Amino acid sequence: MSWFDAIINDIIILAKPSLFNIYFALASIPIGFLFAIGLTLMKASKSKIISGIASAYIYAFRGSPLFIQLFMFYSIMLSLNLSVWKPMGIDHIVLHPLFLGPMILILNTSAYSAQILYGAYQNVPKGELEAARSFGMGRVRQFLSVIWPNMIRLAWPAYTNEVVFLFHATALIYFTLPVINEQKDLMNKAGELFEKDYNVFLHFSVAALYYLAISFVIFLAFGLFYKYLMRHEAAAKIKKFKFSPKYIR
Amino acid sequence: MPDWLTNIIGQDLSDGLAYITNGKHMMWYASFRFTIFAGIFGALCALTFGLLGAIMLNSNFFLFRLIGAAYANVVRGVPDVLFFLFFPLAFEQGVEYFLAKSNCTADELAANIGNWPPCPDAQWFLGTNEYLILASVSLGIVYGAFCANVIHGAMKSVNKGQLEAAKAYGMKPMQVMLRVHIPQMWIYALPGLSNIWMLLVKATSLLSLLQIADIVLWADRLGAPNYLKQVGLVHPDWRWKYYLVLFLFYILVTFLSERAFAYLRKKTGKGMVDEAVL
Repeated sequence: MSWFDAIINDIIILAKPSLFNIYFALASIPIGFLFAIGLTLMKASKSKIISGIASAYIYAFRGSPLFIQLFMFYSIMLSLNLSVWKPMGIDHIVLHPLFLGPMILILNTSAYSAQILYGAYQNVPKGELEAARSFGMGRVRQFLSVIWPNMIRLAWPAYTNEVVFLFHATALIYFTLPVINEQKDLMNKAGELFEKDYNVFLHFSVAALYYLAISFVIFLAFGLFYKYLMRHEAAAKIKKFKFSPKYIR
Repeated sequence: MPDWLTNIIGQDLSDGLAYITNGKHMMWYASFRFTIFAGIFGALCALTFGLLGAIMLNSNFFLFRLIGAAYANVVRGVPDVLFFLFFPLAFEQGVEYFLAKSNCTADELAANIGNWPPCPDAQWFLGTNEYLILASVSLGIVYGAFCANVIHGAMKSVNKGQLEAAKAYGMKPMQVMLRVHIPQMWIYALPGLSNIWMLLVKATSLLSLLQIADIVLWADRLGAPNYLKQVGLVHPDWRWKYYLVLFLFYILVTFLSERAFAYLRKKTGKGMVDEAVL
């Protein structure tokens, strides 16, 4: 088998495992985003207690490794198994990695996204807010028609980075949660292939190729949506969004 | 546990104290050295690779720029854990390849096609220390790619007048780079570098994936349920408690790092006119 066939063969083998990574990302991004909006509003709240809780949550989840968070929540869920999940009869759902993985990712990504959204919230132009207030808009109206549209536009490039990072973080899930039967993600499968023929360069490179390609697709899709968001701006301004991510989480 | 101490703090507390200072727990505390080493050595490697990458990105020679850009973009485009596992394995195989060239006979090579290592003599046994160094270097390579971008951006922010003045004094390009450009770049790079340090610290939790008995592996062992009195305290699954401790440990490290970087920024920002820096 020539090296080219070997690469093609690996690409075919790793196609199904890549779906698990995509599933983890797809399952956690939308809910994580909603959570992040809630956390942002909490952090921006005037009440010291509410904003304190949100800040502490964001700090804790941004300040500790996802690897530890995965282990910690998995072991917490395990220790609750006999007393809570078993009697309720939902233990096989709650402890399943396809449920637990996205759940922990949601906790993690909502903290990172909330930090991004909060940064955007603080940079909403003051003049527009004052204009909205002088029009006599209520607080909900203000948020929906002034704060939110500004926020999402300011936050989108950074949020794109966060989503790519989240996608990369899905590689960690099956290092901590149990692998059930053939439900293997890219890293598992690449490791398994490596143990068969010890060809580290081939298998890991193809896995890396998958990660690169999917990251690129995320950038493309999010870039298109950014273009849509910025459709009122001059074309020259939109061009700034290109495939040169900061990758700083 | 001495009696006088038990009398002061009571039986329960004394038992607890005895438990968390037993031999296994001492091993756990000692294993923090791996994490600390990986953090510090990894950061030094990352800075080195980052500087090299940034100098390449800044180079006038097309090929160097290409290599720098490929390094900075490809490594950042894949998950850190993939590279973290890939590099030590690849390095090990590389060494074994050269060992095989000198140590193996032609017959052995022919008999072992498709196997690795090609012959028993070519096996390179890696202990904890070797893996630790390889892990730190691979952390350095991954976060060096991040650093390269940050440092490259910082080098662009240095005031052009400074460089022109250095050139006007008759310095050669290399001298301008080493004496003026790089020393002045740090202040602009500091915020980005502090971010990367936080990422690197969090990545040090991955050491157990390379068979290093680090804090995570010990937390897993110590927390596992124990039903034998001879082995120590009988307890159910306590892993979540140990992971909670690690969770708090990393938050504490982040907090202290933030403080340290804020101090550093204040200190290095002294005398800088540029408002953006402060």
